[in-house]
Amino acid sequence: MISVRHLSKSYINPDGSKFQVLKDVNCEIGPGEVISIIGPSGTGKSTFLRMLNLLEHPSGGEIWVDGENILRKGYPIHKLRRKMGMVFQSFNLFEHMSVLDNVTYAPCKLLGMSREEAENEAMALLRKVGMAEKAGVSPSTLSGGQKQRVAIARCLAMKPEVVLFDEPTSALDPTMVGEVLSVMKQLARESGITMLIVTHEMKFARDVSTRIFFMNEGLIYEDGAPSQIFESPVHSATKAFVQRIQKLVFDITSADFDFYDMQSQMAQFCVKYDIAGKRDAIAHITEEMTQVVLRDYWPLHVVLSYSGQKEETALAFMMEGRETSPLQDEGIDDISLMMVRAMSKEIIEEKTVKGFRVKVIL
Amino acid sequence: MKRSYFFTTILLSALVTCGCSKQVGHAPEINSVSDISGHRVAVVTGTCYELQMSKRDDIKLTRFNSESDQAQALVLGQADVAVNDEVTFNAKMMKDLGFKMAFKGDESYPAAFGFRKSETELLGSFNQFLAEVKANGTLDSLEGVWLKGDGKYPDPLRIYPNKGTGEPIRIGTAGATAPISFRIQEDWFGIESELMYLFGEWMGRPVKLMSYAPTSVMMSLQTGDIDIMMGCVFVTEERKEVFNFSDVYHYYHPAYFVKDMDANAGGGLWESIKRGVRRNLIEEGRWRFITDGLWETVKITLLSILFGSLLGMGLCAMARSRRRALRKTASLYNDFMQGIPMLVLLLIMFYVVFAGTSLSSSFVAIVAFALNFAAGAGGVFRNALDSVPRGQTEAGLALGFTRLQTFFGIVLPQAVKLGLPMYKGQCVSLLKGTSIVGYIAVHDLTRASDLIRSRTFDAFLPLLVVTVIYFLLAALIGLILNLIFNKSRAI
Repeated sequence: MISVRHLSKSYINPDGSKFQVLKDVNCEIGPGEVISIIGPSGTGKSTFLRMLNLLEHPSGGEIWVDGENILRKGYPIHKLRRKMGMVFQSFNLFEHMSVLDNVTYAPCKLLGMSREEAENEAMALLRKVGMAEKAGVSPSTLSGGQKQRVAIARCLAMKPEVVLFDEPTSALDPTMVGEVLSVMKQLARESGITMLIVTHEMKFARDVSTRIFFMNEGLIYEDGAPSQIFESPVHSATKAFVQRIQKLVFDITSADFDFYDMQSQMAQFCVKYDIAGKRDAIAHITEEMTQVVLRDYWPLHVVLSYSGQKEETALAFMMEGRETSPLQDEGIDDISLMMVRAMSKEIIEEKTVKGFRVKVIL
Repeated sequence: MKRSYFFTTILLSALVTCGCSKQVGHAPEINSVSDISGHRVAVVTGTCYELQMSKRDDIKLTRFNSESDQAQALVLGQADVAVNDEVTFNAKMMKDLGFKMAFKGDESYPAAFGFRKSETELLGSFNQFLAEVKANGTLDSLEGVWLKGDGKYPDPLRIYPNKGTGEPIRIGTAGATAPISFRIQEDWFGIESELMYLFGEWMGRPVKLMSYAPTSVMMSLQTGDIDIMMGCVFVTEERKEVFNFSDVYHYYHPAYFVKDMDANAGGGLWESIKRGVRRNLIEEGRWRFITDGLWETVKITLLSILFGSLLGMGLCAMARSRRRALRKTASLYNDFMQGIPMLVLLLIMFYVVFAGTSLSSSFVAIVAFALNFAAGAGGVFRNALDSVPRGQTEAGLALGFTRLQTFFGIVLPQAVKLGLPMYKGQCVSLLKGTSIVGYIAVHDLTRASDLIRSRTFDAFLPLLVVTVIYFLLAALIGLILNLIFNKSRAI
């Protein structure tokens, strides 16, 4: 259905130097496939996606859709775009129209649908994404998650065969990511539409995709089923990316350290790595451990870590030079410790080369 | 809105009250040239009395642009003495305004008509004509009608058929003052005007009289927009360097005017307003100046907005173009238009670019204002389009709209909403800016008030009337644009 051959893209910087975003991208995409495109930032994922409907023009290579070269001169790209929808990171709803008009505008103008027919279909789509109630309001009154769901409905109103999702949840507040992902999940399972999704949501990618493209350094490094990419990646770069563990480290050298700064950095970490659901638990555990349980055990190293592959979050408290677990000491606050145990999956007490570590797994 | 109108009304009534109330003050005894020593003296710029008074260092000299300003300064106590022709102010007028003639001076000054240096043939004919009217007594009878100083003129005034064939003789005057030359609706009266009509008959050609702002009449003569300069032009040595003068037709004498402490026009505020309306608007059908001026102002404003906006769209397209050369050109144009004062641009258009063409002053004004408006409007359009996020265009394209459909259906409606307040501001400032077209002899609303003032010497009522009209016009522009905008949103 879509065939991409030797696609490349380079920009000329203002200083005259050349910057190559895409080097040589090749792939075949069949009908009904749901493909997630993952990889480190700045490796051309979005650029690649935007080239498929020519919002971005390639510097070299070929794109064939249904046996036609869409890069040939005079190709009616606007006709292809009617069959190939796009959902943007920044939603891009038409701010001067109501939610309903956003959805009916294109079908009325481009598909020749009657106003009534378009409105009926639009309401059905809005119901599907849970936004029927807001049909009459202006987009400016909606939250980010609601906007994105309307944008998905707008895109579906054109009855596309392919939908390109360009980081659809990256601009959202963590609390709203879920509502958009569940709409997309439903779409992937039920609609039969070919979907290409640039995303940082590893769990989502793993759950809904039929295929994963791992992009790195302007190439599709690895192309395979989710189980293959996440469990037995071939390339070391893929492995490093899917297994990478994100860390945030604090050294507490006195009882007067800036506790609130630590809390705020941890909250930002949670937003960045999409573990917002664990934000409150992390804050509570950190508070109980540093302010009550281990209050007099400084210097103390606190490490917050997150593994994307294992989907595991851990808080480690490390005391240098210690041989025994502080949790066994006399005078430890049992109530606080009980609370920490209740909020965690597991507490590991272990002796290491440097000292003693208490690791709380969430 | 209601509230702002309320305050405006209060403000305007306060102005009327100030304007009509006569200040009480000590009247200096002035009966001879030596008495004016140490006093504040008001003269009109460009007259020989200015020259005469500027030689004295024992007085405080203030220069005014017109006889009406000079008279007003005297009445309001900003000057103690005013010096002008003995025939400038007539008795009835002085009584109405509240000043009087103190004494007459002994000097006499020759007045003549100015000609371009190259127009020696026309000058020769005129001098021959002048010699004839002097010899056959016509000039004497004209002097008898206009210069006897009682302010009483024949009723009805003599109107000349002004037929003749061929190119009209174009005559410009800086001052439009009775009894020298003044306009009532389409016809000109006064001694100089009659002389010109007679000269036209003598030559067998029609004449065309035009009034200019004081500074621009000489320029108009030099650039060839007019053939003869009149308006009580005194012959001086400096002026002889620049122009040729005809033979002298009359010697004028100075008079010294002071405030008349006994004068009391009588009646209260209401009476004085009624009297002002009658004098400034009703007598001689002077309201016609206002309606004609209003039409001219509206015409220039609307056409400038129309053509300026079209040109502005072009500039906006250039500024947003991918071609560097087009962007540079547009930005250069904007810098140029923003860098020169509107009045200078107007004068350049009239005296340089369109000099010697037969295009009307109004047309030149529309061109100049449209060119200037285009820069501002282009900037507004560009700003508005730039404030619509790029994502809106991308969303339109991604749905399958063409570039044109995306621009007109999605980007433009949002840009209109964003840019309208700024555009309204531009239109209103254009309206206000047109008040300078009097410099190139367009009789707009502001010029209308000048013309009335030059006849009645009353500063307040004419200015008040045009103030109110400008204010209403500005409100109307906002209203019309809102109407268009709301309509466009409904589509």
